[in-house]
Amino acid sequence: MLDISALLEEVKASPYVESSVKTPHSGVVSFNDDLKPGAALFGPQGLYKEKPGTLLANLERERVSKSINALEKGELVAVNTELAGRFVQAGTEIMRVRHFLSRKEVLDIILKEALHLFRAPEKAKYYFVPAVDLKVKNTGPKSVSVHDGMDLFIISRMKRETPLRYSGPDGVIYAVYFSVHQNLDAGEPLIGICPPSQVNQIEEVAMRVQTEWPDE
Amino acid sequence: MNISDNKVLVANRGEIAIRIVQACRKLGLDFACVHTAEDAHSGHVRLARELGGQGSLYRISSYHDANELMVVADESGATAIHPGYGFFAEDYRFARRVMQRNRGLIFIGPSWRVIRELGDKINTKRLARSLGVPTVPGSDRPIYDEMEAEALAASLFDFQERQGIKKPLVLIKASAGGGGMGIEEVQDIDLFRSVYRRVRNYAARQFKDEGVLIEQRIRDFNHLEVQILADRNAKNIVHFGTRNCSIQSTGLQKRVEIAPGFDPGTITYKFDAQKVLDDITTHSLALARKVKYDSVGTWEWIVTRDGHPYLMEVNTRIQVENGVSAAIARVKGQSGIDLIAEQIRTGLGDPLGYAQDDISFEGMGIEYRIIAEDPDNGFTPWVGRIEEFAWPGTDKEPWLSLHTHVPTDQPYDIPTEFDPNLALGIIWGQDIKQARERGLEFLNNLKLDGQTSSGQRMKTNVEFLKGKTPAILQF
Repeated sequence: MLDISALLEEVKASPYVESSVKTPHSGVVSFNDDLKPGAALFGPQGLYKEKPGTLLANLERERVSKSINALEKGELVAVNTELAGRFVQAGTEIMRVRHFLSRKEVLDIILKEALHLFRAPEKAKYYFVPAVDLKVKNTGPKSVSVHDGMDLFIISRMKRETPLRYSGPDGVIYAVYFSVHQNLDAGEPLIGICPPSQVNQIEEVAMRVQTEWPDE
Repeated sequence: MNISDNKVLVANRGEIAIRIVQACRKLGLDFACVHTAEDAHSGHVRLARELGGQGSLYRISSYHDANELMVVADESGATAIHPGYGFFAEDYRFARRVMQRNRGLIFIGPSWRVIRELGDKINTKRLARSLGVPTVPGSDRPIYDEMEAEALAASLFDFQERQGIKKPLVLIKASAGGGGMGIEEVQDIDLFRSVYRRVRNYAARQFKDEGVLIEQRIRDFNHLEVQILADRNAKNIVHFGTRNCSIQSTGLQKRVEIAPGFDPGTITYKFDAQKVLDDITTHSLALARKVKYDSVGTWEWIVTRDGHPYLMEVNTRIQVENGVSAAIARVKGQSGIDLIAEQIRTGLGDPLGYAQDDISFEGMGIEYRIIAEDPDNGFTPWVGRIEEFAWPGTDKEPWLSLHTHVPTDQPYDIPTEFDPNLALGIIWGQDIKQARERGLEFLNNLKLDGQTSSGQRMKTNVEFLKGKTPAILQF
């Protein structure tokens, strides 16, 4: 039986995540001079998250400037200012930021303990089969019921595609942990399945996080 | 500007990147290489570091990002870009952009107009037909409509039945595909729709274009190629002979290439094999002259059992198998031809310096593609760690050249993003008998082993290659 209280306490004990901001591609980097270590950062806002987060830096390549924005509400920890105005290679760390876990992140952490996770059997890209993909896009993953032996995924690796059957308890897809064209390592979760017997418990998790975790 | 004043950005990875770097060195050219994080331990990175220092290496997010390649070209001071094969090699928009940007660069490959004209399989078919060059029966434009595709397939089944073909087949190809990807065959019109949808969905995912070609599937054929080389002004167009690439995986991926394409002096064919070789060479040169071809390129043919050749497509780039043609070629009697160096040299503006009469051929070449895959299980790619890779006994032989990006002195994890091609072994023999013997000697001495993270033994195609060697060029 899942101990929701214990899991919540565990998350509360360490409610911050520190991460590095890396350049997504090569280019010439320039920083937002208004930001100094300790500055508050905001993630995307608006009803549809249409307003981008705090501008952290710009990365220019071939006269195309790409803005690097904060993805979460948080705080700037450090800036590698010596890189300002210089060419940087892809994957170079330019900043460190930290943020307070959101309700959604907390829920995700706890759900990963509660749901049955169907994991990637090998390092590859994964896609839902076209019929399921359509349903997920149109009505959301929770509208998809799965059963053992069902053709659910396409594994794409080295330009080859092979079908992958779901194995595990029957239920609905409660969480999707991959995106299109994303490369997953073997063992990473693809989907979280909620068996009918656990619906009440999962709903309780959602409610407890909603009420016990401070708003963003 | 002397060609040696140029600096070449190698916009590719693995074996071809290594060969481009080596060719640059041979020509006295400076170079810069790119690599992704996954490729940090690839052989091309090691070689570039060894020959050009850490400053010659640039980590990028993707080999498919044109903007990134341009900014690296500027940062490194490159004056030319070699696209290798795959990625941007046959992308005319990329070639055009390289040349037309503010800080223009030389694209080492055909001019963008030529790539546009011949890179499109359908246009190539139309051009070929206009010159009387035989092509495979089927559509000469991409088809996006299911009903239209089905009607065309039905007419091709009818056509084959009228020809007396007992088991007619239709091929569905992703029109934007290449290299054998996105091709499936249909045996019965009732199954057409499901296969069509599968290919269409695959094409949309992989190439972002749902268009397909519908063609008659000619069975029981040999796959031949003609190697073309031309200088920048397209006035001097020569061929470097033919290759036979009929030994393929079940997924129509080449595994063994032999030059020349047939051996009528030793093997008896049911048709005039020498005439076929001469015909496809003549047709290929005619089409090259028509479009003013100005780099290296490969004309791909299928030859039926009764000796009828059909042009399939033109690959407007250097091919993986260029080395096997070079192995048997002599220019003004000299061996040691390097078609990649020739491509770079002429691409930078050097005249070819020789004519067709200066090119001769000697002996027979076999190229083996050493791949981590399981031939007993549909050639499924194998992914894991290579722990041993060596070819003792043949490593000093002058008749063998081995090209690989896999390190031999340390373990190597195969990246999952690309084909698990590990090496190319090119054998030269005075005749087919000697080439076969040497080929088997090389394969028998090859040491290649490794395991997955769960301890499963490595799978390779070496036994498959051994099994195919005794029957090469037989039809």
